[in-house]
Amino acid sequence: MLCVVGIFGIIAIMLFVYLLNTARKKTPPPSAATSIKDYAPVYVSIADKPNSILRGMDQFAKDLRKTESAGDKWRWIPMIIFLIGVGLLGIDLIVDLLGYFSITFTGGALALWIAAFVMARNLRRSDSKDFSPRYQGTKEIIRSLRDDLKPDSTFLGHLDLTGATLKTKVARETKDTQGRTTQMFNDEWLSLKAKLYDGNVLRLAATQRTKKRMSYWKRSRISGKSKLKPEKFKGTEQRLKVRIVVNPEAYTIVPNATFRQGQNIGKYTITALDTQGGMINILADSPFAEIEQENILNFLKSSYSLLQRKAV
Amino acid sequence: MKRKIIPFIVAIVLSCLVMLVAGLFSFSGLATAEKFNADVAWSQPYAAAESMKSIDLTGDGQEELFIQNNQNVTVYNGDGSQLWSLNYPTPKTTLGDINNDNVEDIVVFYSNGVDTIINGQAATVTTGVNLGAPARVAVIRFPSGPQILLGDTSGNLLALALNGQTLWNANIGTEEIRGMDDAKIDGQTYFVSAAHSGSIILFDSSGQAVWSVNQNPIRRMRAYDLNGDGNSEIISGSEYGDLKIYSAKDGSVLFEKSLGQAISEVREVEINGEPSAREFVVGGKEGGVWAFAFDGATAKQIWSGSLSDKVTEIAGLDINEDGKQETVLGDDLGNVAVFTETGSRNNLPKHSSGITRIDIGKLNGARYVVIADGNEVQTNQVHLSSIPGFQYTPLIVGLVVSAIILIIAAILASIPPKPEAKLSLQDKSRESLEAERRMLKESIADVERLRKSGEMSGEAYLARLKRLRGDLAENEAAFKTAGYQVKTETFACPNCGGTLELGMDKCEYCGQVILS
Repeated sequence: MLCVVGIFGIIAIMLFVYLLNTARKKTPPPSAATSIKDYAPVYVSIADKPNSILRGMDQFAKDLRKTESAGDKWRWIPMIIFLIGVGLLGIDLIVDLLGYFSITFTGGALALWIAAFVMARNLRRSDSKDFSPRYQGTKEIIRSLRDDLKPDSTFLGHLDLTGATLKTKVARETKDTQGRTTQMFNDEWLSLKAKLYDGNVLRLAATQRTKKRMSYWKRSRISGKSKLKPEKFKGTEQRLKVRIVVNPEAYTIVPNATFRQGQNIGKYTITALDTQGGMINILADSPFAEIEQENILNFLKSSYSLLQRKAV
Repeated sequence: MKRKIIPFIVAIVLSCLVMLVAGLFSFSGLATAEKFNADVAWSQPYAAAESMKSIDLTGDGQEELFIQNNQNVTVYNGDGSQLWSLNYPTPKTTLGDINNDNVEDIVVFYSNGVDTIINGQAATVTTGVNLGAPARVAVIRFPSGPQILLGDTSGNLLALALNGQTLWNANIGTEEIRGMDDAKIDGQTYFVSAAHSGSIILFDSSGQAVWSVNQNPIRRMRAYDLNGDGNSEIISGSEYGDLKIYSAKDGSVLFEKSLGQAISEVREVEINGEPSAREFVVGGKEGGVWAFAFDGATAKQIWSGSLSDKVTEIAGLDINEDGKQETVLGDDLGNVAVFTETGSRNNLPKHSSGITRIDIGKLNGARYVVIADGNEVQTNQVHLSSIPGFQYTPLIVGLVVSAIILIIAAILASIPPKPEAKLSLQDKSRESLEAERRMLKESIADVERLRKSGEMSGEAYLARLKRLRGDLAENEAAFKTAGYQVKTETFACPNCGGTLELGMDKCEYCGQVILS
């Protein structure tokens, strides 16, 4: 009997804490190692005019917040239902203290607690995670480039914020001599193509490359016991690919000393530069895990230093 | 719309179920708040009573309390004052009308003789009885006349006339006589006796055995005419937990069941208020309690319960005056409990020592439960109290729960659906759609190039390709919606729904062979 009461009490306390956290909207903070996973997984397919894209992205964020705020005003309801259940339990307790036996109200309390749990779970499901800073950053890039876009033309591409270390983004897998598997992920999180006002065609692809060692079983040489070693984050870097198909009527490509291979441009270092065939192909790497939009815009601006406007 | 209706449908179904269960509990009478209270009227010190009965022994129409232990025989007035008390060496007693005055008298079988006590006056029936230590005594009113039956601890029986003359004797075993009772066959009175060694014998008035049976060692034997057909049923409980009902007519077994513990007591109780078939309650050495109903042919268990220790006494009392007797039980730890018709247990105040006897009687004009324990005898007025209207509380609780379920459904339905994690921003002009189509084709070419150069795993390649082809299909759909001509280049896999390029004969995602 005491055991049953104990189990019942533990379940009630766990439910109380769960409902209190639901009411206070307390969620665990994002961990540093897996920060990308803690953001809302969003995929934006871009094939529209810049203002429509900006409006669409704002509306999307607003809709998400609306769902959340609609749930927010009811967050204390499950806790109130829980307390009504406690009140019902109290009635049974009083009846029992008076020497009668009753579990009718306890049955009602249990039903209410189940209902409160179901409601809390639904409210929690309506919660949305924070947007990745890249979402805002991409908007800034589009906003900055919109005046340079050919009139009535569209941006094409995608913004993929579904996660950098998804199974579907594994580029390569290697095994070391101990049989441990390391996975290399290639996440092309931003891809943009735009026909510019000056007749050039700009292509931009931002990629995050991540390395992660999978979990594995290791046997101790001394005790002979096997231990599960957790997966290990081995590092991440950013890569930016820029291609400018130059309008030969407006520009000539002129290499210069300030924008050449090995040069640092903001957080990026140019690793490959090709200006052959009327096109500029640039590959730049960055050891930083996160790249702000200023760095991308600055890089694009710097890449234009290779172009010299033809005299009219 | 569907999203708003489904929570309500679920909530209504749940509410109906809740109300159904609540109604079931309310109208079946399962939800009651009842308790049995006991108020002590009087108590007297009296150690370890072996026999006790509330009965009119003076002929004044008022019941007195007769009580006996291994040292004396005492009678108390209805108000608790002692009427008289006589000491005997290890007496065994029974009640019976010895002098035909329609008032019960006391017969005492003690170590070397038999006495009758009529109105407090003891008279010796006989001395020098040739028996061992007294075990049981009974007065049986045979058609030929009453007889005093004596039983000892060695299985010997002796029948005496009321004047002390020996009528007959018998031996039914080597161990203690554990039961002596009158049994009816076709309305005629016979005598049945059981010894601990396992024999049960039914005698006629001349001491001739009508039938006999042998079974496991017997702890308790009682005879009742459970179905009122003029033939008694003999109930025996063994040391090994066998419960048997024999027909008094021929000794055939009408019912048997193993209860898993030694049977310490058997008593008749009118549990269901239906007098044509009587019920009986069995108590076990480990505290088990079982109620049975006998229908004339066989018995069936009505309910079972338990006390904390050996059940020492069972009595029936209609406490709430509904025509159905509640069962009052006592155990060796001093617990007293009332079991209702359905078998639910309600405790009465605990006694400081083991319960030895319980009887129901009308003392001093009021009905009492008389309880004797190791130290005293106590008269209790037991009454039932209940919370009025409590049986409808399940309906109230059900309504509260149903209302809250419906409120939750309304709240959940009011929360707008979470937008999909995929956002497609698409300009509908022909130029834009064409540009998007070109971009998608370039991207597909890029992915294929990466795959060929080994920069992309098979799984990642297929996932990316599936997404791009899906976008291409959306682009085609946008073309068609806008009314522009477009060459269809994609189709959906009939198995997995993934978008494939026209002309493919096997789905790259699920492996389905495509025939058309």
